Amino acid sequence: MTDTSSKSAPKDIGTLLIASLFIGLGLVTLQDVSTYSDTDSVVFPTTVAYALIGCSAMVILASWLRPNPDNGFGGGDWWRRILLVASMIAGCLVMPLAGFLPATAIAFAGGLIAARHEGWDLKSAFVFALSGIFIMAAFYALFRYPLGVPLP
Amino acid sequence: MDFEHLANALTLTNLALALFGVVAGTIIGSIPGLSATMAVAVLVPITFSMEPASALILLGAIYTGAIYGGAYSAILLNTPGTPSAIATTFDGYPMAKRGDGDLAVAIACYASVFGGLVGALALLLLAPPLSSVALAFGPVEYLWLSVFGLSLIASLSTGNVLKGLAGGAFGLLLSCVGVAEISADIRLTFGSSTMIGGIEVVGALIGLYCIPVLIDMVATPERHLKVEEGGRAVRFREGAAIAWKSRFNLLRSSIIGTVIGILPGAGGSVAGLVAYSEAKRTARPGQKFGEGEPDGVMATEAANNATVGGGFIPTLVLGIPGTPPDAVILGALLVQGVRTGPTLFEGGGSIVYTFVFGLFIATILMLPTGLLIGRYAYKTIVTIPKTILVPAVGFMTIIGTFAIRNSISDVMIMIVLGTVGWVLSRFGFAASPIVLGLILGPIAEQGFVQAWIIGDATGNLAGMFFGRPISLAIIAFTILSLVYPVIQGRRARRLIKTEAGAND
Repeated sequence: MTDTSSKSAPKDIGTLLIASLFIGLGLVTLQDVSTYSDTDSVVFPTTVAYALIGCSAMVILASWLRPNPDNGFGGGDWWRRILLVASMIAGCLVMPLAGFLPATAIAFAGGLIAARHEGWDLKSAFVFALSGIFIMAAFYALFRYPLGVPLP
Repeated sequence: MDFEHLANALTLTNLALALFGVVAGTIIGSIPGLSATMAVAVLVPITFSMEPASALILLGAIYTGAIYGGAYSAILLNTPGTPSAIATTFDGYPMAKRGDGDLAVAIACYASVFGGLVGALALLLLAPPLSSVALAFGPVEYLWLSVFGLSLIASLSTGNVLKGLAGGAFGLLLSCVGVAEISADIRLTFGSSTMIGGIEVVGALIGLYCIPVLIDMVATPERHLKVEEGGRAVRFREGAAIAWKSRFNLLRSSIIGTVIGILPGAGGSVAGLVAYSEAKRTARPGQKFGEGEPDGVMATEAANNATVGGGFIPTLVLGIPGTPPDAVILGALLVQGVRTGPTLFEGGGSIVYTFVFGLFIATILMLPTGLLIGRYAYKTIVTIPKTILVPAVGFMTIIGTFAIRNSISDVMIMIVLGTVGWVLSRFGFAASPIVLGLILGPIAEQGFVQAWIIGDATGNLAGMFFGRPISLAIIAFTILSLVYPVIQGRRARRLIKTEAGAND
């Protein structure tokens, strides 16, 4: 008896899911355009939504017939990825209350901890904290003064 | 035009302005998030008290330097500093990853200088006759030009063509988010106040290119770029030898960049992609585009710097900005009291020709300054420990996005879009089609709606979209760009099978 399951390649679930979400987005767009008052602002998103639905349907078909085994999230630490993104988002949320520099300090610290694989001691913590303060202050000064960006 | 204008451009003040402009532009352009448009915009106030020709020289030098500077972050961080450098990431970053980042930076500098000189030469010699070609482009042609740009990037970027097209459509849809320019309808915000301002292109570009790199960098302890041991010498000569060997690619890409720069709105991003596509199409056996091929970097960088001179042609002759930085420069000229238009070359010819010679000088100055800055940029980025590089780049993405229109919403959108972009990239949906969809969305929508209105009013909708000769030519190129890689792939597979059969 031959093992048929070993012959068929595993489905590329991620691609199928993303393409399905794109189709969903296209359908939501078609629903949204029905609320617009002016036809001029309807025609382009409608056409693009149909194009997105059509292309995504073909992606699903192609991926079902010939799945790519290389696709996937790969290895690496998930907590570091999540910490990096979460600290950046947290910085954004805090910015209106805390101001620009304290808020971005949260994002900076999150990135610093997420990127450090060699472990921490007192000296390295001091050096990286000092470097961080210098880099942030230098870029803040560059944008705030010569470039005249009104940072909060 | 005579030597008097050359002499005017060679005054100590103008030379100093050209040098300052190139250095400032290169540094600003190399910072992810600061585009050439922003580099020019933030330094415009300096020029208000200057002579018009000197002001133009400074702004032209900043512009050309910033376009070149965008290549640094494209090569070393996989984050194009400007949209013009999107295609530079295709081969520049793979080169940097394998330890050839310094070579890629040197090649980018030679190509940028060559492309810039060709563009400036075109501005000097071909401005009036070529500008009449651009006049023949109507809204439909701009629509098809946008579709052509998307089809090119879909067939060129990593992943497959269908995923590229889906990504392009997703980008076009993202460009619709916010208040519609035509009718003020609020589109695709789903009640969120964060989305009302729309998706800012440069912020989205930073997110889609930079955040995925940061997410990948923190996940593993390996170094970001490969570092060669033993303090290798700077590879200026090696870069020059490669550039000389591919001189036909340089010339062709520069001409493509110049011609596309003349078309208002098309800009360096389309020029870079078309030149890259041509370089890939005419690849020599053994060349592997997308895997760190120096000719890919050369084609893109020559073309995008050639758009500087090309873009000035409609800006100065017709008063229609060829590229977004040209629009800022046009505004600066109006503040100076200089009216652009066909008579400018006669009535105010002195200003124009002095500026053109100034642009030549600035471009030539880019060679030593670019190589020098490039050398230190490479060495700095390659030796910075990941622990400090990740938060520093993350901080720059936040401050760079915020600086564009002082919006926290833009920063939030940038981070979310970047995270979504990382997930998409892991399943073969490349960032470039999404970004180009966002950039070309407004141009495509304007062309589409105008053509729709005219076609609907005249009762000839199909004729409006498919009946004009220039449109048909662009449609033919679009189909070719989508079909050709498929045919080429089949031919290659058939060849491999035949060779395998012969070996058996």
